[in-house]
Amino acid sequence: MAASAVVPRRRPWALWLVVLGGLGLITWRMLYLHGVNEAFNAAFFAGAVVRSLQLGSLYALIALGYTMVYGIIRLINFAHGEVFMVGAFAAYFLFSRTPFSWPVALLVAAAIAFGVLQFLNFWRGRARDPIVLAGALVVFAVVAFALASTQLGWFWAMVASMFVTGVLGMTIDRVAYRPLRGAPRNSMLITAIAVSFFLQNFGILAFSNRQTPFRPASFFTGPLQFQVFGEPLFTSWMIVLVPSVTAVLVVALTLFVTRTRLGKAMRATAQDAETARMMGVNVDRVIATTFLLGSMLAAAAGVLWGMTFGSINQPAIFGILPGIKAFAAAVIGGIGSLPGAVVGGVLLGFLENFLTALFPRTEYFSGITEYKDTFAFLAMIVILLVRPSGIVGEDLSEKV
Amino acid sequence: MSARPGDAGGNGAGARGYRPHYLAHRVRNSLLTLGGLAVLLVVLLLVDGGASVKLKQVFALFAIWGIATVSLNLVNGVTGILSLGHHGFMLIGGYVTGLLVLPTATRDNLARSARSELSDFAMGLSVENWFRALGLDSLTTPETLWARFLVAVLIGGLMAALFGVVVGFPSLRLRGDYLAIVTFAFGEAIRLLASTPLMSSFTNGALGFAGVPSDIGKSVWWTFGFLAVTVFVMARLKYSSYGRALQGIREDEIASEAMGVNTAYHKVLAFAISAFFAGVAGGLWVSWVGTARLDLFLFFLTFYFLVAISVGGTGSITGVLLGTALVVWVRQYGDPLEQTYALSTWAVAAGLVLLAVAALAFFLRRVRRIKPDLGPVVYVPGALGLVAALVGLLGQGMPALQATWQGFGMRAITLALLLITIMILRPVGIMGRREFTWAWLFRERLDEPTEEERAQDAWLSNPALSGRAGAEREDDEVDA
Repeated sequence: MAASAVVPRRRPWALWLVVLGGLGLITWRMLYLHGVNEAFNAAFFAGAVVRSLQLGSLYALIALGYTMVYGIIRLINFAHGEVFMVGAFAAYFLFSRTPFSWPVALLVAAAIAFGVLQFLNFWRGRARDPIVLAGALVVFAVVAFALASTQLGWFWAMVASMFVTGVLGMTIDRVAYRPLRGAPRNSMLITAIAVSFFLQNFGILAFSNRQTPFRPASFFTGPLQFQVFGEPLFTSWMIVLVPSVTAVLVVALTLFVTRTRLGKAMRATAQDAETARMMGVNVDRVIATTFLLGSMLAAAAGVLWGMTFGSINQPAIFGILPGIKAFAAAVIGGIGSLPGAVVGGVLLGFLENFLTALFPRTEYFSGITEYKDTFAFLAMIVILLVRPSGIVGEDLSEKV
Repeated sequence: MSARPGDAGGNGAGARGYRPHYLAHRVRNSLLTLGGLAVLLVVLLLVDGGASVKLKQVFALFAIWGIATVSLNLVNGVTGILSLGHHGFMLIGGYVTGLLVLPTATRDNLARSARSELSDFAMGLSVENWFRALGLDSLTTPETLWARFLVAVLIGGLMAALFGVVVGFPSLRLRGDYLAIVTFAFGEAIRLLASTPLMSSFTNGALGFAGVPSDIGKSVWWTFGFLAVTVFVMARLKYSSYGRALQGIREDEIASEAMGVNTAYHKVLAFAISAFFAGVAGGLWVSWVGTARLDLFLFFLTFYFLVAISVGGTGSITGVLLGTALVVWVRQYGDPLEQTYALSTWAVAAGLVLLAVAALAFFLRRVRRIKPDLGPVVYVPGALGLVAALVGLLGQGMPALQATWQGFGMRAITLALLLITIMILRPVGIMGRREFTWAWLFRERLDEPTEEERAQDAWLSNPALSGRAGAEREDDEVDA
């Protein structure tokens, strides 16, 4: 049924007005705070900015997985936060428990090699290409040997964890979601919730339910100090590492989606799965790829998260808040759109960290730090009510 | 679609409920209902009188969670809106009830405690004080706790209903999974806000407050009384004009709006009523535990209710109660799953589960004539299960497999796997949208036409007739 079409008036200047006005207000607020207390100096706000960027990059990495899956099969992958949790824990075991005993090393190497096999398939036409198979076999041998003989550093632990977690994401899709293709969307969402709950409790079963220190030996967790307008800012190299890794991964993902055959198939499936299938796209493979890529990004986010905060929370709750906040970020940016996820993630990072810095605890005011977990929800609800397609998203209003 | 009075909404329930046409059946059904109630009464008497403390608690918990699931079912099942914020409503009802019925001695202790963040104003909120002020001193004794509890639970329910209206408003603009996520966000936001300084003068922050009297929440009679009221209200509501409107919204929102249903009003109403009973359940739940704590109201509650609804039957009150019984059973009697066993035992158990999955998949493929019989769904779990079982059986002597492992979280894992299985195999749940009725038990057709309808049908299908009636009849058939 065609709703009465309201053509919105074009107001191209409105966005600039909002942005400039917001920046002006923020500057005014910063100057005011500086006047109230010398502690709120340039270094204080610069620290808030870099921390916001750091947190926002993490949200962006997780949000990409949500937005890719939603764009392709219109499913809110509730289990994505738990995939992120598993990624962090897998990396933890990879850098803290290696060298493994041989049976464990072989099992883990098999999972990694399977992920690599799927990953290499992106650039090859056929599913069982001999070159790819040979590559995966080599990877299997090398990885099994490496796992059984040396201790991994954080980087290789992250890479290995990405493949393990990617395989987990594909398995979830294969076992739980694929049988439900075409089912009512509520059934799919309930299944996703069940998978999420399963993984939470599987985490309790497998990793023991307590906060785990996450401190791989690394240059980047070391201190970093620099001057902002003559004021010292004490932080760590993670503020450089996290946004850079995110940028690299986002660029790689963009290149994949825009430049490869499978990426093209992915975009086609997102536009219209039925037609894509008729054009010869193997939709199930595209969806599996989406889960693989999204889960890999989530695993990278998990490792960076652990290194940023120095510890990872209990498996039962670790994935919930980052997961739901990243989903909020995806919605804020416009779900289904890759740039939207990045924009939304960074915006949410600023909303949580920089806004808290703009309203710090002073002698007149108790601060808003305790409330910052609810910002993401409030922002999401507001965005959904005001502009459901998100900031950069296209219109996804339900067709009748 | 033939629109006979006995066949509305596709769930076999007529405008007159489940009343069969024959007097004998009606008498039989009434007698059976009375008999069933009598059996229930006897069971409750036995449980209350002679059974162990644990069994009493399990029965009370079933009733409390039954209230919550049946109320969640009004939104999730009847209206077809996936609401995931039920634990938030329960939190509001639970904290309000807990605070209002807190005994004076506990209040004094809390007021003296240095760790208590509760404000004096919150400590003054007591039904006992209000009864005193009204001169109802006879209702302030320990024996008349029920009176204070009733008032408190009513207030808690109303507060939750207020939030239900607030949460219902996004449902006017959002559909489907977006709405589900917003309800989830509301539920989580309520819990997160309850621990902030803003609310901790009422909730005592993360600590919560202990000492809520358990007399009502653990009493089989009171909890089943509340459950009976809830089920009665929900059943009456489901077959009232409101319930029809809600089911219409579930089937096709735009069509029901076109038929003159005020969808906005009905959706918010459904949320409010559902939240009211969730608040009541929350009050009873806090009373059952004896403590108002934030970790009682995590998302796992809503997840359990979702399992109960989806497994039992989405939209069917009796099915939902069946699902609740299952969930409560797994949760309260699933301890053996969480014991410590040797790794070889775990391997054998996992192998057997996987083999069962393979066998089930094989059986279903045979029944549904899916070729080949041995798809990957069969041989992958089958092979994995075989390997795991064999490793477990043959490797019992291996030192690596003699290490022990405690099955933390296995109950929740069981429920999650159950939910996934049900969603894949039978998304509407065991009962579907049917209710359990005696007529269903005896396999009677509820839409059997009456003599009058038979006569009308005969008259309408008379080929000698021509004109409008016949034309309409044809249209009907084309439609169906």
